[in-house]
Amino acid sequence: MAEVDETNTLVFQEDDHRTAYIFSPTDSAEHQAAPQNQNARPAKRRRTSKKGANAAEPDHEPQPQPQSDYHGGEADFPALFNGAESLDAVRLRRTTFETAWPVLSGRIQNVLRRANRKTLDEVALFMREAEDEAETAGGKIPAGFIITGPNIASQDLLFEQMAEGLSEATGAKVVRLRSAGAPNLKAVLKKIIRDATSRSADGGDDAEVSIGSDGRKYLNYDLEALHVFLAAHDSRRVIVAFEDSEAFDSGLLTDLIALFHSWHDRIHFSVLFGVATSVDLFQQRLLKATAQQLYGAQFDVVQADSVLESVFMGAVAGSQAALRLGPSLLQSLLERQKDQVAGVHTFISSLKYAYMCHFYANPLSVLLAEERLLTNELLQPQHLEAVRTLDSFKQHVEAAVDARQLSHAQSLLENDEYLVRQVLEQTQKRKDYMTQLLRSLHLITATGLHPGRFTDLYVSALADGIDLSSDVSPVLDSIRRLNPSQIIDLIHRLLAAISKGNPDLDLDGWEDQEESEELRSSLTEITDEVQALLDQSKLSGKPLKSKYSSQSKILRTTVVAQKVQLSHDTATLTEADKAFSTAVDNLTDLLSRFIHVDPIGSLFLHEAWVYDSKSPYRDVFVPRPATTFARALARPHDYLGCACCSKPDGGLACTFPTTSILYHLYLEAGALLNVADLWAAYYTLVGEESELALDERAALVRFYRGLAELRLMGFVKQSKKKADHVAKLKWL
Amino acid sequence: MGYNGLFQLPDELVLTTLAQAFPSREPQIRALATLVHPSAAPCRNLVLYGTKSTGKSAITAAVLAALENDDIDIDDNGSPGLKFAIVNCVECITGRHLFETVVGKVARALRWDGAPLKCETVSQLTVALSKMLKYTPRPDNFRFVLVFDGIDRQREAPPTLLPALARLSEIIPNITTVFIATSPPAGFLHTPFVSHIHFPNYTKPEFVAILGASPPTPLPNTTQAETTELWARFTAAVHDALARAASRILPSLRHACQALWPRFTAPILAGTHAPREFSKLLVAARVHFRDERLLDPGIVSAARRLQTPPPTQTPTTTTDPSTLTNGTVLPKPPQPTSSAPDLAALLPTTARLLLLAAYLASHNPARHDLTLFSTHHHGRRRRRGGLSVGVSGRSNAGRRSKHRKIARKLLGAHAFILERMLAIFASVRREWDPSGDEQQGMDSDTGMAIATLASLRLLVRVGGAGGAGNSDPMDRGGKWRVNVGWEVVRGLGRSIGVEIEEWLVE
Repeated sequence: MAEVDETNTLVFQEDDHRTAYIFSPTDSAEHQAAPQNQNARPAKRRRTSKKGANAAEPDHEPQPQPQSDYHGGEADFPALFNGAESLDAVRLRRTTFETAWPVLSGRIQNVLRRANRKTLDEVALFMREAEDEAETAGGKIPAGFIITGPNIASQDLLFEQMAEGLSEATGAKVVRLRSAGAPNLKAVLKKIIRDATSRSADGGDDAEVSIGSDGRKYLNYDLEALHVFLAAHDSRRVIVAFEDSEAFDSGLLTDLIALFHSWHDRIHFSVLFGVATSVDLFQQRLLKATAQQLYGAQFDVVQADSVLESVFMGAVAGSQAALRLGPSLLQSLLERQKDQVAGVHTFISSLKYAYMCHFYANPLSVLLAEERLLTNELLQPQHLEAVRTLDSFKQHVEAAVDARQLSHAQSLLENDEYLVRQVLEQTQKRKDYMTQLLRSLHLITATGLHPGRFTDLYVSALADGIDLSSDVSPVLDSIRRLNPSQIIDLIHRLLAAISKGNPDLDLDGWEDQEESEELRSSLTEITDEVQALLDQSKLSGKPLKSKYSSQSKILRTTVVAQKVQLSHDTATLTEADKAFSTAVDNLTDLLSRFIHVDPIGSLFLHEAWVYDSKSPYRDVFVPRPATTFARALARPHDYLGCACCSKPDGGLACTFPTTSILYHLYLEAGALLNVADLWAAYYTLVGEESELALDERAALVRFYRGLAELRLMGFVKQSKKKADHVAKLKWL
Repeated sequence: MGYNGLFQLPDELVLTTLAQAFPSREPQIRALATLVHPSAAPCRNLVLYGTKSTGKSAITAAVLAALENDDIDIDDNGSPGLKFAIVNCVECITGRHLFETVVGKVARALRWDGAPLKCETVSQLTVALSKMLKYTPRPDNFRFVLVFDGIDRQREAPPTLLPALARLSEIIPNITTVFIATSPPAGFLHTPFVSHIHFPNYTKPEFVAILGASPPTPLPNTTQAETTELWARFTAAVHDALARAASRILPSLRHACQALWPRFTAPILAGTHAPREFSKLLVAARVHFRDERLLDPGIVSAARRLQTPPPTQTPTTTTDPSTLTNGTVLPKPPQPTSSAPDLAALLPTTARLLLLAAYLASHNPARHDLTLFSTHHHGRRRRRGGLSVGVSGRSNAGRRSKHRKIARKLLGAHAFILERMLAIFASVRREWDPSGDEQQGMDSDTGMAIATLASLRLLVRVGGAGGAGNSDPMDRGGKWRVNVGWEVVRGLGRSIGVEIEEWLVE
């Protein structure tokens, strides 16, 4: 029995992580029938596999690492290099992941919480003041409308914070309602009463809720119970938050508001609506009489764009992010945010998934671990072999050869120890690169001259590098067009940026470091020069201009003999102007020298710390089941791998699985399929004249089964229009 | 005042006080007091009816409380002659809830300390009330008044509810059941001889008198007498202007007066008019009387005030009529904003495209789909120009027919099958959104967009209940309908550079 269980375990383990596998029932039947011919009931997965694997481990597993905790949380990653990866390396990959992700996750949560704070404060203020206001406004119910944007699911955090914050700020009970849990009035009231009475009562005396002071037992949807409870707790306020108010039935909302209004003299209800579209649309759905019972204020949540921006800065671009996401993956993530209904939370889980994929499947990710853990023993020959297959290694060696560093290239290729040294040196180079990248980005942002958002800037910096002197970048052109005082402002901004750094990016200021010495002194020099020129020009009364400023070209109109002549004239530049032009030139040269980053793809060994593959992400987060089904049915031989079906032209063959044949016939049919015709067509294909030569009974059985499968997959359904026909459901 | 069996009206003092508290409701107060007072002419069932905000509930509560207190003062042996309980039926969710509330309130009014009774049906209610009222010894003149406020708005009322409640007094002799309703149909209690008291809506002099009872605080430049007189004339003017059309009932008229008053008196504050010049003031404020937004501020009434910081210094004499001297800026009436730009900014591209496709599917007949979306013959789509030939050809023949067709976009949205909408989406997606990714077809993002639109009720599933119960929302054969109007869709289309009109056949 242990034998069987063990094989099952192995089968499950192998198959679980393969995208496609060939299911061959005959094999497994033989396999199972051979050792024991008792009941061939498929073994249950969870219980038996654990036991079986434990029992079978010593003699079957080549590695000492226990596979038994495969289901548990303590599992190690699988050994890569076909299992040749050492246990230490595996563990190191795992610990690296486990230390890297929580840092980011904490940061992200911070950013999200901070983003909501302003809205929360406003809502709390409104709710506090509404207590008095509502009295004057004729007993209306205070209502906060929180414009959340269409992705209600991502507002969970907001409402959670709001529930905490409001109950602190106003001493009210906060009840959160979602449309899914609120089918009718009774259920809503039950939930309101249950939540409002349970949250604060730490004693949890449930009896108090349902039985009043006079021993009366209340119905569980009777607000009287809530009233009695609140009276006992010296509180009168209840805030009811409708998280996705659009999805609530408007009749239900009307009833509830009327009820709250009627109870208003005893329980002070306030309501909060999460509105996805607009308050106007929401108001149109309410009765006018209901709307008049509300006394509302509108609150806007920080737009998803800017939340995304800050999450991006903290978690993707920030210096704490261990793993870099590559430009193409980032681009597709950002596009998805824009085009699809995908909230920030989708972005965050995609980010986490990228981390997981990288550390799980890339053996070189071990190089991201701390330096002291990276010993020479850790790097196995397989690691070095893997390094030598990298594209960036190839580029690097070719570059070395081109640069006539032949011994370097040769050692890289042949000398393992040399390569290990080189590889380990890359850690420092990686860090330098990141610092340079972030500083450059920070300086560009500080100039305030780059149009577009930080996300786009970052992605383009990774993909193409930053080269200010190239024609693409608009920054230098903008600088040249600035007037002297703007130039001085700009330099001051840059100096401030150097000294302060950027907390969003986790970038410390680098004023006291020697790299910034040259930049800072040159900047100060230019300022002084420009300032002096400016003072001088003020004294002389002549405006200071450079050769780039637009006034330098003058369109001159001359009327000669009743003809108008237009001529471009280059205004003459004074000495001061020339000096200023030189200063501007110096500034642009300086900036383009210091703000410079190579594309990330050009770095040696970037594969170890850049994750840039789109396909697992798309497969997991944007699955396309319909397309997958259609393709599998249209070209089954791609998946089955059998010789009989694969024709070069990919046409229909009788050896296809029945469902696939029926699918091909289905594609040729119109909106209604006559089942008899379908059967006739099918039988001609597989019937006695064909290669398969099935008899009618066997073919009919297959036909039925295939048709049933098509129905199961939602391709056809029974038609009411015509007897003996099925309706075609899928057109795309 | 012991019970001596003689007909005796309630104390005149009490009634006068009440009549002063509720102006122009004296006949109703006297009738009600007479019909419930134990020593006057207590009746079994009593129906109070009238439109809303005519004082039915308030007067009932006040009269009963006054009579109860009155009796306590006078009664010799200390046992009150009248007790009452008022049940607000609007607050009762089910019939059972109503019964239990009745029992609870009656028990509280009687200070009953027996075990609380469970009460699920009308018959159990009868038993419970009998136990408390009939089988407990009471003084001879004891009368219990049970008031059902808003009984016509009771939810989940069993059909026997009203007749059964009306017959309570047949079983329990010393109970009076009062029903408060808006407009009771004739004989709705299925009982003969029910007394009715009608609470008519107020007339203009009554309105003016009631509103005049609470004049606003005097304006800075005037005396209280002047303000009160101006207020009276002002309320009369507001009544003439608005009562028939917009503010029939007292609260809305009062709200209208309060909303208009600061604007009306702004010229006095500014010093341009004296409080005596009523007609000039009226002419100056004419524009506000026409403004509907003042009367119906909508649900977001507080927003603007929260956003405007209060001005720090008191503005001096200013001609801006919306600024008061006490420094508060009047809330401006909300501007009518179109929701289209909001929606366009909120939805991501795919959702917008889907919504547009759904609009087309709802508003174009399916038979034109081939003409509109097929690229088969011409390599490009024809849009609506392509159809005009056929239409004009037919219209020549059918010109005589008096049958005029209503433009389809003026009619409501029709239902469409989800698959058809997706087909339209797939065919126009590339043309409308060339920057979109290359991968065509349905993926989970499209599904999520549809689900979002459905949860926002911009797309509505129709016949979900009529079909196979709550069937799978992603069933491609399901029927849906678009739930946004033409204006919104046009704005949406323009936001991605599509003139949606070109794609509508008619």
